[in-house]
Amino acid sequence: MNNRLKKALTVLAPTAVVLTAGVTWFVSRTPASHFDSVISPDLSPALVSRGEYISRLSDCVACHSVPDGAAYTGGLKMVTPMGAIFATNITPDQTTGIGTYTLADFDRAIRAGVAKDGRRLYPAMPYPSYAKLSNEDVRALYAYFMKGVPAVHRENKKSTIPWPLNMRWPLSFWNELFVPAGQYVQDAARDKQWNRGAYLVETAGHCGACHTPRSLAFNEKGMNSHNSQFLSGALIDHWFAPSLRNDPNTGLGRWNEQDIFDFLKTGRNSHAVVFGSMTEAFNNSTQFFSDADLKAVAHYLKSLQRNASHTVQPWQYVPTTAEALEPNQRKTPSGAQTYMAKCSFCHGTDGRGQSVWIPPLAGAASSLTADTSSQINITLNGSGRVVANGMPDAYRMPSYRSQLSDQQAADVLTFIRSSWGNRKTVISPNDVKNIRKRTTPAQIFPVILKTE
Amino acid sequence: MDLTINGVPHQLEIEPETPLLWALRDDLAMTGTKYGCGLAQCGACTVLVNGQAVRSCVTPIERVAGASVLTIEAIEQDDLGKRVVSAWVKHQVPQCGYCQSGQVMAAVSLLKQVPHPTDDDINAAMLNLCRCGTYNAIRAAIHDLASSPENKGA
Amino acid sequence: MSRGPFENIAETVQEPVNLSRRGFMRASSGAAAGAFILGFGLPTRRARADDTKSPKFRGTQVPAFLEIRPDNTVLLQSPFIEGGQGTFTAMAQIVGEELDADPETFIVENAPAGDEYTVMDSGMRITGGSMSVRDGYAPMRRLGALARAMLLQAGAQQMGVSVTELTTQPGYVVHTGSGRTVRYGDLAHVAMDLPIPDPAIVTLKDPSQFRWIGQPVQRLDIYEKSTGKAEYTIDMRVEGMLHAAVQHAPRLGMTIASIRNEEQVLNMRGIHSVHHLPGAVAVVAERWWHAKQGAEALLVNWAEATLGTAETMRVMPSDFSSESYKTHLATASGKIDDAETKGDTEQALQKAHTVLEATYSSQYVNHAQLEPPSALARYNADGTLDIWLPNQAPDMFRADMAKRTGLDVEKITIHSPLLGGFFGRHFLYDQANPYPQAILLAKATGRPIKLIWSREEEFLRDALRPLAVVKFRGGLDTNGYPVALEAISATEGPTEGLGPKRGKDLDPSALEGLTGKAYDIPNRRISQRYIQSPTALGYWRSVGNSMNDFLYETFLDELADKGGKDPYELRRHLLRGNKRLTTLLQAVVDLSGGWKRGPFTAADGSRRARGIGMASPFGSEAAAIAEVSIEQGQVRVHEIWEALDPGSIVNPAIVEAQINGAVALGLSQVLLEEAVYENGMPRARNYDGYPILTLDHMPRVHVKIVESGEKMGGVGEPPLPAIPPAVANAVSTLVGRRIRSMPLSRHNFQS
Ligand code: FES
Ligand code: FES
Repeated sequence: MNNRLKKALTVLAPTAVVLTAGVTWFVSRTPASHFDSVISPDLSPALVSRGEYISRLSDCVACHSVPDGAAYTGGLKMVTPMGAIFATNITPDQTTGIGTYTLADFDRAIRAGVAKDGRRLYPAMPYPSYAKLSNEDVRALYAYFMKGVPAVHRENKKSTIPWPLNMRWPLSFWNELFVPAGQYVQDAARDKQWNRGAYLVETAGHCGACHTPRSLAFNEKGMNSHNSQFLSGALIDHWFAPSLRNDPNTGLGRWNEQDIFDFLKTGRNSHAVVFGSMTEAFNNSTQFFSDADLKAVAHYLKSLQRNASHTVQPWQYVPTTAEALEPNQRKTPSGAQTYMAKCSFCHGTDGRGQSVWIPPLAGAASSLTADTSSQINITLNGSGRVVANGMPDAYRMPSYRSQLSDQQAADVLTFIRSSWGNRKTVISPNDVKNIRKRTTPAQIFPVILKTE
Repeated sequence: MDLTINGVPHQLEIEPETPLLWALRDDLAMTGTKYGCGLAQCGACTVLVNGQAVRSCVTPIERVAGASVLTIEAIEQDDLGKRVVSAWVKHQVPQCGYCQSGQVMAAVSLLKQVPHPTDDDINAAMLNLCRCGTYNAIRAAIHDLASSPENKGA
Repeated sequence: MSRGPFENIAETVQEPVNLSRRGFMRASSGAAAGAFILGFGLPTRRARADDTKSPKFRGTQVPAFLEIRPDNTVLLQSPFIEGGQGTFTAMAQIVGEELDADPETFIVENAPAGDEYTVMDSGMRITGGSMSVRDGYAPMRRLGALARAMLLQAGAQQMGVSVTELTTQPGYVVHTGSGRTVRYGDLAHVAMDLPIPDPAIVTLKDPSQFRWIGQPVQRLDIYEKSTGKAEYTIDMRVEGMLHAAVQHAPRLGMTIASIRNEEQVLNMRGIHSVHHLPGAVAVVAERWWHAKQGAEALLVNWAEATLGTAETMRVMPSDFSSESYKTHLATASGKIDDAETKGDTEQALQKAHTVLEATYSSQYVNHAQLEPPSALARYNADGTLDIWLPNQAPDMFRADMAKRTGLDVEKITIHSPLLGGFFGRHFLYDQANPYPQAILLAKATGRPIKLIWSREEEFLRDALRPLAVVKFRGGLDTNGYPVALEAISATEGPTEGLGPKRGKDLDPSALEGLTGKAYDIPNRRISQRYIQSPTALGYWRSVGNSMNDFLYETFLDELADKGGKDPYELRRHLLRGNKRLTTLLQAVVDLSGGWKRGPFTAADGSRRARGIGMASPFGSEAAAIAEVSIEQGQVRVHEIWEALDPGSIVNPAIVEAQINGAVALGLSQVLLEEAVYENGMPRARNYDGYPILTLDHMPRVHVKIVESGEKMGGVGEPPLPAIPPAVANAVSTLVGRRIRSMPLSRHNFQS
């Protein structure tokens, strides 16, 4: 060790010790909970059943279950750029689950992202949204997870994120920056239904987790209606979760409140059918919302202003494409023949789909959004089953990854994106190749939560 | 649900999203239209709706209420259909035959639109699967029809 | 065909003009069902006691096979089922030839179960192995001749003349002296009750006199199949019938632990009942659509197979993947069984001037016949069971049903409608057929049940063509000619794959196509390293040959390249002295306009090459040449020339159609097909994930039938095995690297 370095260390060491101590305290401190003093929480059947409903609103099952595992026993693999993490067992099992959690422990996990042992949860757990859950709903959720969910012993899987990236303590800084504090606060300027909608969308439903773009630090760019980035559409898991704002082409601008209600209740309307990651959210969550809650969601979403940057001419149907699909015409526009062979039987030569059963491609948000991931993904991998009211859908999207080359898929999607008034955007074979590499065919038998 | 199949009106008590295929097969006992995949992949279920080849397994019946549906059962009532059937017999097209109702419907639809199809037209329109490999016989039969003097299309 | 004869039979039942039918009670189902479309009724009585079958002369019970009706049509009970291969027509041609009745006047049905219909030398009754015409040829000719003799006898009685004064014209007995004629239809009621002549002395036609055999007689089933009138099991319907659909356990061996939403599904529209079956749940409904939706809606907790399950059935582990299984086969050690040896291969390899080693593999493939599996089962009031199902061996299936139900075989009537695609799918596979489930459901509901497997369930439970990894070693002499060839195939054969355990003997169908090659290589050793596959295995058109000729013939080209020989010249050399195969090889080369390996530039500017493949499957000989190019990185096959020598044939048009079909399936396999398993489950559950050949990829097919006069061989399967290697060899020539596995769609040949 040379002298200069020695000197430097002498100066720096005490500072480092102080700093480290401070940081250590900060990153491992147990945040306070509203329920710290509660000794025997209410676990009454009424609250349990209320809690089950909140768990539906929050779609806990989506992440904390896998097809061949019991509900809430975790295991779902979530791939991050750093490695895979696995959702944990949240049944009340004493050793592998959350059986030993007090209400305050539970609250800290849900609203602050801190596990009982002080570990910071990865924000794959949407606690930045859940942070604003009401005390009442947290209490109910707790009751449900303690008394309504059967305890199942199932070991948690270790994440594959390598050291040093697997260190969780830096998350506490992240939390400090990005996790809002306190329960949802009513906006006095809005009516009750709007406020209920806001609570459902921003908090329990955590819609922003998929639909809001994230910044470099992976935080959502906006957490509520005051931010124009909120729900403006985002890429997640090779699906583009479209804008839920009032953009006429790429968002909900052409939908009315009833359309939104139908979509979330039945999985379909004349504009779209749920697909991609939304299938899961529909199957296990939105369809179970009460009608009043769904109406509130629809009401709230229709209040979100369209994005200024998206001000374009609203899409209008152009009927000329059908001619390009005549037998002796369709060899010229590349993609037309593939459209005819693979797509037209369901989506129609008019691109309008089959009433509410098979969605239109003409004017569909997925055809008009700049990001092409969703269209590529569903073309290659097909759709998972949409199960409405216990009944699997009559029609599902096949997987074409074995039938279409990158070039053919790119051509047919480019054809779709240039037809029926859609906005002529081009998909390249490389775009297809990239998504092909990173995705697998959709499971045709869905994970459905059914608790007896 | 009111349906007109082969010119005959039918009334069915059935959910609007039921695939036309199953209304035909189970409710109307018209089993000439075949189930192969239920996923728009094989064409065994092809029928004509307003003259266009349609895969009935992905056609909710509410979409054909009021339309005119032609199935293989009545194919010989159609002039062109009758000629397609005789070409199929002349060229001894079918093997197991399971796909052939759909193949005949697809050929009729093609010839209605393009009376003198080229090989490329045939490739573009004859999309139904045949596991027995009758493709060359199908192609020959269609070419033969296209060149027959009474063929003027429709 | 089914509907026509049924209508006519119903009339004859009421008006029994044909005395031969007195003892042949029609199953009661027919008349009772009124407006419903039905499988035709079937004779249930055994052949008369004095006609007991002689092992020497099978299939001589004329009245059991033939009914000649007043309108002069002939109803033939065929011992072989029609699945597209043209058997019914061929049988009509063969019987008609000796009976002297135009095949056009025949109506052919699949005969019911029963010893009298066992005509094959093996003493079994199977439609398969491309055996129908070759095994049926002699007995069916004899049958026609016996029937003709009986008609002549009856004619003599009726006309009051001596039988020697009589002859026949198609459909008529003719008195040569007076020119008087009597229609067969007017004699049948007498003729069919006459004693059956001694089959040993009945005279057969001289083949030079054949009127129909050898002619491209039109198929009997074409019109009905072109108009949707032909009926398959899936189309059957009986009074009071309910529909059923199933959801199978995701992996073989699993059982139902619980159903999470049985109550909810029971309350869904149209649902009759929910049933727990071995390894499956079933939903019964008034309409199949509802049954299917109900079956898919059921949320089942499946339990892993319990210890010991593997004793009785195959068990699929949750971590099975076809890709890692391939690696497993390639690296496995363990016992090797020799199937065919000649000379001293090991020593010859050691002494060889050059040794070439290479590992080749095949893939699992699905049958993917267009008709999804189905079965219709009905328990009758008297405790008997009627069952309709696609099958290729009624007696075997009936015996299995007897075992499963505890019923006496006599109490089970099996109806065998047309098969909506054959390809080996309709054999008795333990877990791959729906009839055991249909029977259980019919019992449970007390109603006739038609069970259809959705396409998704079919892809889950189909019995696969095996996968093999073959290690080849070839030794060349100083001149570049092969002196030794060793092939060790790590695989399980389809016959071995039928049950939970291996049989005692080697399964010849595992290695056929590696064995039985005609090439004169002085030292050779063909062996199997048996490794069990957890998948259900089955027969797939041309069985072992479907993959083994690909493996062998492509390696042979690789050897040719290594030794600096042209692959065609090398084959000629290895077949020198073999007149039959030299002729055949020459025939296909001539058909293609002379051997031209390439690469060359075609008229349309594309770069192309040709490849050869040969095979000796199912008693026949085949040679094929393929011409290919590369389009956007994928193989395009433009032309196939194929010469087939089945010894002799019955119907050249049908043979040509069969060659076309076999070419299509062979191409489909080499270009596209592969059943991929991941996590113990097939990745493809419908045609979307399992593409098969489409019309736009069907090449022109040029056929040469060579009738060498050798012992008659098969036709349905033999044209297939030469196709994959012909294509792969052409591609290797074109792209300059050897192809050692299928399907070619796995490769991108973009240069
Ligand atoms: S059954 Fe409709 S396309 Fe296959
Ligand atoms: S004739 Fe058998 S599938 Fe086409």
